[in-house]
Amino acid sequence: MATSPPTEVTAMRNAYVDQFPDEARVIKAAFWSSFIALAIGGTLGLVQALHRTDVFRFIQSPDYYTVLTAHGVLLAITFTIFFLVGTFTWAVTTSLDRGVVDVRFTWAWYIMMVIGTVLVAIAIFSGFLESAPSVLGSELNADVLFTFYAPLEAHPIFYIGLVLFVVGSWLAGVDWFRTWLAWRSENPDERIPLPTFMVLTTTLFWYICTFGVALSILVFLLPWSLGITESVNPLLTRTLFWYFGHAVVYFWLMPAYMMWYIMLPKFSGGKLFSDPLARVVFVLFLLLSTPLGIHHQYLDPGIAEGYKFIAMTNTMFLLLPSLLTAFTVVASMEHGARQRGGEGYLGWLKALPWRNPIFTGMALAGLMFAAAGFSGMINAGMNINYLVHNTWWVVGHFHLTVGTAVALTFMAASYWFIPQLTGKELWNRSVALGQVLLWFIGMTFMSNAMHRSGLFGMPRRTAEPQYQGFDFEPAVGTVGEINMQVALGGVILTLSLALFLLNMIMTSIGDDSESIPDNTYAGTLSGAEDSPRILDNLKLWTAIAVVLVIIAYTLPLASIIDAGGLFGPGIEGVRLSTWVDPAVIESLGEVIR
Amino acid sequence: MRISKGALLVVVALLVPFVVEFRTALSWFGIKLTILESLALAGVLVIGLLLWAVWPENGNGGTGTADSS
Repeated sequence: MATSPPTEVTAMRNAYVDQFPDEARVIKAAFWSSFIALAIGGTLGLVQALHRTDVFRFIQSPDYYTVLTAHGVLLAITFTIFFLVGTFTWAVTTSLDRGVVDVRFTWAWYIMMVIGTVLVAIAIFSGFLESAPSVLGSELNADVLFTFYAPLEAHPIFYIGLVLFVVGSWLAGVDWFRTWLAWRSENPDERIPLPTFMVLTTTLFWYICTFGVALSILVFLLPWSLGITESVNPLLTRTLFWYFGHAVVYFWLMPAYMMWYIMLPKFSGGKLFSDPLARVVFVLFLLLSTPLGIHHQYLDPGIAEGYKFIAMTNTMFLLLPSLLTAFTVVASMEHGARQRGGEGYLGWLKALPWRNPIFTGMALAGLMFAAAGFSGMINAGMNINYLVHNTWWVVGHFHLTVGTAVALTFMAASYWFIPQLTGKELWNRSVALGQVLLWFIGMTFMSNAMHRSGLFGMPRRTAEPQYQGFDFEPAVGTVGEINMQVALGGVILTLSLALFLLNMIMTSIGDDSESIPDNTYAGTLSGAEDSPRILDNLKLWTAIAVVLVIIAYTLPLASIIDAGGLFGPGIEGVRLSTWVDPAVIESLGEVIR
Repeated sequence: MRISKGALLVVVALLVPFVVEFRTALSWFGIKLTILESLALAGVLVIGLLLWAVWPENGNGGTGTADSS
């Protein structure tokens, strides 16, 4: 079922919704949760672009940080991860050719993630109120940005929401593992199908990296916001955040990688070049995604240069799986193009299905990711990072990674998924093609200007980037031109987003169609039988990943705690007097003495 | 046409980053283009591309594209 030739239409429809109707409902719900987050978060992105560039201002500058937090959290966490859980559930069920063990469990983790999102959104959007209500003894507010580490403090509801969301994603992982184990008991000698292998390895490093953020929230930030502890060690919470904060980048990226590996070759008209190489890539991500977060802290005092150097080395190693991916995916596309009659060294490019928005969107996303890789190498280099640290360059970089490689791939993939999940034909393929091209053009304008302004030191995370009595000096053009380029990019991106949502809505309310392609993914030129069985040994790779994390983080964390204490210098930690009269504590102490 | 309409549209889109980055690259050689000059360059490139795309291959009106979807 899974690896038959591409997109043929058979007399009897065999779309995903026909194979797994129950799972299709949950995945559809996850995708719509993702799209709602994209719609709100994306619109807020335009508000920021117009405000920062002083093109059009209708919010007060202090509210900019509420907008920025909502934009970051809704897009970087909610949009991406809801889409991920939907995609991974599709991948596991399709490649194992069986449903989840218990769809009620699947609904349970999805609902938990929704509740978490709603709590987080309530906390953030209360920031827009003139006087926010007081809940649990403090005012509702969460202007803490996507990175939410101390010293910025949010309302406890924000942290509780995040915990529910992350625990929901953990349970989603349990669901995928349960389904795979059930399949394995029926197929003990079979290799793990490639899409399921990708899901499981990604889930494993998600468990490893979210341990850091769980620790940060549950032990430090949540008790601090509730007043149970007196203070926190900001450097410790920053380090624990970045322990998770870079791996989460790969968590967003892995569904996009999966689509490039198993869907792009299919839409190109061919097969995946190498299943073993794809497995190696995902094993490398499992091993290397987490022990490098300190490269986000090159300018943090309190972490020795040696630890930063180790983080830089690990980061550079991580270029390897990305380069392997570029090779494998392009080779697969070339194979497909030649199957379609393409010839010559570069002439085969003409034979690719450029009118197909799914293919074109994913291909352009991959191209932008190459550019993101180059700017990422600048970020990762310890010395040159000092030039661009905390500038708009970094924002330009991640608008190419999560904002294009991930978001554009997800939108292009939606043109495949929504018809599969609803049994309804895509409303308008031409609009879809225009949409992915507009996203590419809009992001070109915006991210280019952001990168360039970072080079002359324009700061990120501020509503007022222009200092008084000081003028930035761009190497090319003027600050005004660069601002116009950002605003133009923002407008084009918003138009593209509106077209995407229109296509999704119109598709969903359309009529049932019998001409939906079969639910398949790409076959392989070199299959699992060509790869060593050890690649499927998940316990081994997980153990090595944990050891690498221990090596990379034990000494830096010990050093940070030694220098600044668990809860800050000279702070004992838990303040027992929170809900108790201090006089009672005093008399208890007397009794004990 | 030498390439499909879809491919032509994609190539036009790819010209955008080329022109935007080309302006920066030229400045390294002391050639500073204004926005208007950059737009004019983009216009010339797009017209050249369109002419190339619609010009019959080998002058006999044959089509060379293999794109079908």
